[in-house]
Amino acid sequence: MEQTTSLTPQKTFTCQLCDLSSPFTYYGQKPPNTRAIVLLEECFVTQDPFSPDKEKFLVLGSTCSLCSTCVCVGPDCSLFYTKRFCMQCVNKHLKQFPLQIQAELAKKKPSSKSAAS
Amino acid sequence: MDSDRRRDSRSWDWDSPQCRAQLDEVFFRRHDYIQAGSPEHREFWSFFDRFQRFKTKRDVSGSGAKEDREDGKKTGTGKVDLGLPKEYDARYRINVSVCTRDVEERLGKSEHRGRQRSSGPGSEEISDCRLALLHFLDFSQRQSFGKLAKLRREQKTLPIFQYRDRIVELVRLHPVVVVAGDTGCGKSTQVPQYLLSAGFNHIACTQPRRIACISLAKRVSFESLNQYGSKVGYQIRFETTRTPATKLLFLTEGLLLRQIQQDRTLSQYQVLIVDEVHERHLHCDFLLGVLRSLLSDHPDLRLILMSATINIKLFSDYFGGAPVLQVPGRLFPIQVIYQPIPTEEQPSRSEKLDPRPYLRILQGIDQRYPPEERGDLLLFLSGVAEISTIQEACQVYATHTRRWIVLPLHSTLSLAQQDKVFDISPPAVRKCIISTNIAETSVTIDGVRFVVDSGKVKEMSFDPKAKMQRLQEFWISRASSEQRKGRAGRTGPGVCYRLYAESDYDAFAPYPVPEIHRVALDSLILQMKSMSLGDPLSFVFIDPPPAASIQTAVTYLKQQGALDSRGELTSIGSLLAQLPVDVVIGKMLVLGSLFHLVDPVLTVAAALSVQSPFLRSSQHNPDCATARQPLQSNHGDPFTLLNTFNAWVEVKGERGGGSRKWCRRRGLEEQRLYEMVNLRRQFKELLRSHGLLESESSTPSGGDRGQRRERLKERRKLYQMKRDHEQQESSRRKVLRMDEGHDGEFSSGSDTEAAGKGKKDKGGSGQNLDIQEVKFKLRHNVSELQEAASVSQDMSSRQQALLKLLLCRGLYPQLALPDEHNSTRKDSDQVFHTRNKQGVVIHPTSVFASDPEVLQVPEDDTREIGPDRRDSSRHQLLAFVTLLETNKPYLSNCVRVPALQALLLVANSVDSNADCTRLVVDGWLELELREPEEALKVLSTALTLRSEWERLLLAQLGQSTMGGPAVQGVSRKVMEKLSEGLVRFLLYNEVTYSLRRLTAFQTQNLYIGPQSQSDLPDTKAPDVNPLFPGVEAKPDPIKGGLRVASFFNYNSLADSKDLYSECLRTFWSCPNCDLYMPLTPLERMQHEASCRPAAEQQQPEEEPEGGKAGSSSVSSLTRVYHCDVCDEDLTLTSTEILKHKRNHMYSAK
Ligand SMILES: [Zn+2]
Ligand SMILES: [Zn+2]
Repeated sequence: MEQTTSLTPQKTFTCQLCDLSSPFTYYGQKPPNTRAIVLLEECFVTQDPFSPDKEKFLVLGSTCSLCSTCVCVGPDCSLFYTKRFCMQCVNKHLKQFPLQIQAELAKKKPSSKSAAS
Repeated sequence: MDSDRRRDSRSWDWDSPQCRAQLDEVFFRRHDYIQAGSPEHREFWSFFDRFQRFKTKRDVSGSGAKEDREDGKKTGTGKVDLGLPKEYDARYRINVSVCTRDVEERLGKSEHRGRQRSSGPGSEEISDCRLALLHFLDFSQRQSFGKLAKLRREQKTLPIFQYRDRIVELVRLHPVVVVAGDTGCGKSTQVPQYLLSAGFNHIACTQPRRIACISLAKRVSFESLNQYGSKVGYQIRFETTRTPATKLLFLTEGLLLRQIQQDRTLSQYQVLIVDEVHERHLHCDFLLGVLRSLLSDHPDLRLILMSATINIKLFSDYFGGAPVLQVPGRLFPIQVIYQPIPTEEQPSRSEKLDPRPYLRILQGIDQRYPPEERGDLLLFLSGVAEISTIQEACQVYATHTRRWIVLPLHSTLSLAQQDKVFDISPPAVRKCIISTNIAETSVTIDGVRFVVDSGKVKEMSFDPKAKMQRLQEFWISRASSEQRKGRAGRTGPGVCYRLYAESDYDAFAPYPVPEIHRVALDSLILQMKSMSLGDPLSFVFIDPPPAASIQTAVTYLKQQGALDSRGELTSIGSLLAQLPVDVVIGKMLVLGSLFHLVDPVLTVAAALSVQSPFLRSSQHNPDCATARQPLQSNHGDPFTLLNTFNAWVEVKGERGGGSRKWCRRRGLEEQRLYEMVNLRRQFKELLRSHGLLESESSTPSGGDRGQRRERLKERRKLYQMKRDHEQQESSRRKVLRMDEGHDGEFSSGSDTEAAGKGKKDKGGSGQNLDIQEVKFKLRHNVSELQEAASVSQDMSSRQQALLKLLLCRGLYPQLALPDEHNSTRKDSDQVFHTRNKQGVVIHPTSVFASDPEVLQVPEDDTREIGPDRRDSSRHQLLAFVTLLETNKPYLSNCVRVPALQALLLVANSVDSNADCTRLVVDGWLELELREPEEALKVLSTALTLRSEWERLLLAQLGQSTMGGPAVQGVSRKVMEKLSEGLVRFLLYNEVTYSLRRLTAFQTQNLYIGPQSQSDLPDTKAPDVNPLFPGVEAKPDPIKGGLRVASFFNYNSLADSKDLYSECLRTFWSCPNCDLYMPLTPLERMQHEASCRPAAEQQQPEEEPEGGKAGSSSVSSLTRVYHCDVCDEDLTLTSTEILKHKRNHMYSAK
């Protein structure tokens, strides 16, 4: 697992919105060793670096179901509601999302702005 | 199961373990993603409870989720229909599903078969559980991703992040690159990662401190998402996490030097990063020099120097104008306030610090800043005494205002005590940390807002003339001053109070004096010699040390026997160069292995190489003093340390973890004992790998299979505990109590222990786990240690005498003479003299400070001869490890040894008068023996013993450098005979003599000086030296007299009579042969050296011929003698030559 040769460059996932990047080891809906678990979208997956258990996976991101932008799963970049939506698309179609989500996003906005500046 | 039969689904009990176990059968089977019994499984069920509670609460409050307005229709603009479900459900936000259809089907079937409803979970329960599981999976994904995102965010905000590509590019293009950045720019953690992700592979990054290696490796492996792998590791003296998979290694400078010493090709590394080069540690300066000389041979090697923005040009120029990348630091603005101490509050020398200037600052902060505004204070003082003075005063103020917790910080505190500075103070209370310059670079404390800088530092310097270290107070440099100031601006804007004037600041030196200019260079020179780096004087250092300092080191190494007269490494020298210890300690180890005194010598050598385990703070605690009493030895401090270590090992064997308490009772820092036991093991391995120690014949890996399995199980358990501990180590900080500052270590210490005892902790909380004990058990075989301890505990007085002699030989020429008037002085006023420094005193921590009487010559044993001559057979000297001047010059770690015997056996230069009743040792100690007869006997014995000792030592070393580890150079029998002889010489010598130091005037006309050939009537006679075959006894060209052995000059003292004047002849009968004739002292010594008792004559033949050294056996006692009278070559022993000559003399008359 560790003996990766330096010659094959690591496959890297990069979020097109926030620029977060990290190497990934699997792309798809059925990461290895997940048994009964299935992902509902095609995801960039890596081994969870914060778990001592090597079998645990971590989803880094996927592509927006509308515009195909590659986005991370961070709440500032994308949202999953039966499908993956990048934040740009969410904002564009905000009205179609349930009120709970609209309210949540409205609440988050000002705080996330101030954090970014 | 049967009893549960009648339950229906409505009586399903989520709290019952049986019910949960049934769901485990569905969701958490052996091969599932989460398995029953795993930590995640436990987490799931506690999540489940929270989730259920949340659900119930939401249902009760009837949140509006159900009355979803039909938003879908209102997408009037009619662009795109996302096709989202009409009704909101949190489940839609989870991108994971869990398929358990197979299991459910099986369950379903069994349901049909049974008439009644089975007791198993119904579909409702299963879907409840599934929903909870989905939310749990989503929750843990969010948690982990959150950590990752936070990590990346932090990396990006580091000032160095912008230079990422530039750094990689520079390293690709240039063999040497200098990266300069101030505190907080992130260079130490980020640069190695940039290189790793750019594809560089074998990266080593050196650090001046071991602790930094560990913490950096930990941080970087976390940041590079490999905290559970070994891609990033560290290697320090006793520990490594390096594996073949390791790509980035943090290690100490000294360790990298050792690796270069073993493999000059450096083939194992592609990139070397030398961090903190601006600190200018001895090893670092040397490492840079070595790398500079190696670089040209390794064009592919990349070297990166990382430094604070101090003196960058120096480093760049040293490497031929290497490119420099300067990164701004991340410091918040800091207000500097100069507050020079008014004259009336300035302490005069030898006076305590006046606390008023410091208290005023505390008061000022209290007045100006509201207590809710957090921010601690860091106060820099020069030394421990200063810290306790100010601490005391601040504590009074703190107790009164209840707004401060005062904490000292310096390296002689226990680690637990040091660690407190990282704990958090309660709300509205500030920490006041009073520290030495340890907090300037080594220890970084977050949350400091105020810095008080006294501008002073105590620094070690080396006085080559007195061969003494000196701890003196200096003004700091501007660089240090800035560094101290910077500590106030790490987490927010800060204030720095400087207790000196701005003009003082301007007058400070720009940089601190590099270590290479301040310390003894013995070890450095030795290492240079063994790396064949040529003449140390012409080596290109970044900042060459003074030539005198190098010269002193070379001379010292020659005195120590590590270099020969031409300055080349001797065989003992090349061995010493490989031991990572002081030369004196290394010598002890080698000597100990020769005499089969390995166990105690290993312990003493280890003990003398680490900080003393005896805590200074408990010295005045009467309970500690009483408890320590049985450990004390009045033979000397190394013996006290030996006893302490042995007793500790004993406790470890019997009570394991109980040793913590045992140490606390005695005021011992257990950490030091752990260091000792680790070092001891390392020494043992070193001796073994150099063939100086038999490889373990009966390793206790034996035992039957059952025992082995038990041990294996135990070890696995210990490893698990260690891992668990490491995972939790980043644990949250404790909150300090208000009384933290003023209660001593003992009261608080025993409290925690009492509290800890009650609850048996299952390795979970980690609070109570003694990780050191776990590591100790993993690393050492306790029963083996115990055995070794009991060996040295039951040391006979003979072994003790021998051990002392070995220590003394190792420590030579570090000897001190008690002042002749000590018996009339108070205990505290005892004075001693070394060869180069008069009037030194014993450090208060030494056993001889509390018990100086054992050093004095017993009254009943003395005979007053003249006004200042006291004869006794009990004169003693002190051999000491360190001479350090602070407010006074102090000797520490002393051993007492019998003077005459020790000097004759270890001194480099002994001169005598004609009848050997007056001896001068190393040109400063004079011994006058009363009886010429006794004097001769004692000298002659010493000569014989020393030549034998030297011969065996060389044989041992010769063997060890050539042969494999199994070869034992010197037979046990021969060795025992020598030990026997030495012990007899040390213990049963009743010769009375006087001992004194020569005055400067006396040393002026000490020797007779060179004589012309005609002055020496019979120089040809002793032309070959029977005592030391190969060394010719010839006139000493400077002192005069006759050089009989490498260390002994006969008849060279100015009051000497003629070499062979007849009046010196006395009739003497040899106890071993039938010789009876008038002989001069020299002739007699020569005879004694060659004439062995009949019984011993055969023995040397048994011993294996160990190379050249073996040639001094019987056959070598005869030599070719050309008799001028007969004009014939005769093969005779020296006695026979004497007889032969005598014949001519008598016949001539
Ligand atoms: Zn993103
Ligand atoms: Zn999109």
